[in-house]
Amino acid sequence: MKRISFLFSCLYLGATAVQAESVAVTRLLKTYKSQGATTASRDQGKIMWQKQYSGKSPFNTRSCASCHETDLKQSGKHVKTKKVIKPMAPSVNPERLTDIKEIEKWFRRNCKWTLGRECSPAEKASLLTYISQQ
Amino acid sequence: MSELNKLKVWDPLVRVFHWTLVLAFFVAFITEEDFLDIHVFAGYLILLLLVIRVVWGFVGTHYARFSEFVYRPTVVMQFVKDTLALKAKRYIGHNPAGGAMIIALMVSLVITGFTGLLVYAAAEHAGPLVGWFTSKGGFWAEAWEEVHEFFANFTMFLVVVHVIGVLLESLVHGENLVTAMITGFKSRHSRSD
Amino acid sequence: MKKLSAITMVLLVGIFGINTACSDDDWEDRIRYSTGVKLLENPVYKKECGDCHMAYHPGLLPAASWQKLMAGLEDHFDDNAELDKELAQQITQFLLDNSADKSDYRRSRHFRNMAREKVVIRITELPYFIHEHDEIPARLVSGNKEVNSFSHCNACHKKAEQASFREHDIFIPGYGKWDD
Repeated sequence: MKRISFLFSCLYLGATAVQAESVAVTRLLKTYKSQGATTASRDQGKIMWQKQYSGKSPFNTRSCASCHETDLKQSGKHVKTKKVIKPMAPSVNPERLTDIKEIEKWFRRNCKWTLGRECSPAEKASLLTYISQQ
Repeated sequence: MSELNKLKVWDPLVRVFHWTLVLAFFVAFITEEDFLDIHVFAGYLILLLLVIRVVWGFVGTHYARFSEFVYRPTVVMQFVKDTLALKAKRYIGHNPAGGAMIIALMVSLVITGFTGLLVYAAAEHAGPLVGWFTSKGGFWAEAWEEVHEFFANFTMFLVVVHVIGVLLESLVHGENLVTAMITGFKSRHSRSD
Repeated sequence: MKKLSAITMVLLVGIFGINTACSDDDWEDRIRYSTGVKLLENPVYKKECGDCHMAYHPGLLPAASWQKLMAGLEDHFDDNAELDKELAQQITQFLLDNSADKSDYRRSRHFRNMAREKVVIRITELPYFIHEHDEIPARLVSGNKEVNSFSHCNACHKKAEQASFREHDIFIPGYGKWDD
């Protein structure tokens, strides 16, 4: 009896941990859906992540990977200041994707810098799906 | 030492001047620019002390006067030679080498203090010499800082030599010159008399 | 007897004095006053403005510079550092209230001055900054992988994040102490 209740406690905790990790993500995905996002594709997210966009000098080409690496489990580096950026992958850095305000702030800044415009709800949904699964 | 054997040599002004100067120089030396306000205050104090001592050197008590302890360079050299040969005579007041050291220290301290005022004016735009510098910082600030630093270190070097000299002299003649500079008294007769 | 009590008195005063001086919590702040800028704890500022670079202390720039910089966050030195309007306002106020113009810390007093009153937004373009760094060869900064730029204060100023820019605390990576 003791062993079973222990096992159930572990499963429950494990489930809530996984769930807690993606509360912000779940909420945001809902929001994007209500804003018109019909897709939330992980593969689309991956493509966006690695795509090279053109920009102003001295950064004539830019991508998400420019600062955050192609492998999200690695530490990144700010393209200008060279400051180390902790990994984006929640599996390695559990602090990622836990704060809605933070996510929105960085989407706004980084989409505008990388793409030259704000990301659409669909784009954000796909990116979020991709990042949250790393 | 018995009352009959005691000789009053250093008056209170000389003694207070000496130890206040020691403290002020030490404070200035270790604070540098880390505690600039304290450093500057110590510097002003040193310059003030020197002015007072120079005046006293002309109007003060017998052993405090420059005329009593400033000797010609040849006399100083001879004294140093005699000391090394352990046959120098004992002086009640400052001996020739001591007198020469006093002059050297005073000169070095004045240069240090004055160049300090120059740095203060050129780099910090403060102090009485502020009007001498029109540009904001620049070449002079750095130049005077180098000179100031050099003479501060040179003064410290002189201080070390001075302390060695005092200890040596104390040993050779069997008297405690440090205590004498505190109490003002020396023995009428030393071991070498 | 008189001598002994005199010595005892001096010792007691000395011990008391040293104890007071050393146990002073503001020891580091006194040094900072002379060799740095004011250290302010602002977690919001640190978070919003310290992710990509050191959160530069407000005392490092004049108010006019902070004003101009905060008005152009969309193009923040080739990056986008946009903030929520409310947050931006809050941070701007914090910066203006504690700018170099408002601080009498030694470095701040120097940082108030701008060449020919042209408003610069880079600390590295302030005349005092240029003067203090004009003897450092390029190979130690832009040619140095650990440093890259003069904007990277904490690369060499080991206590920069504590608002202290004491000469003794400088250590240039790959080179060593800088003491002139």
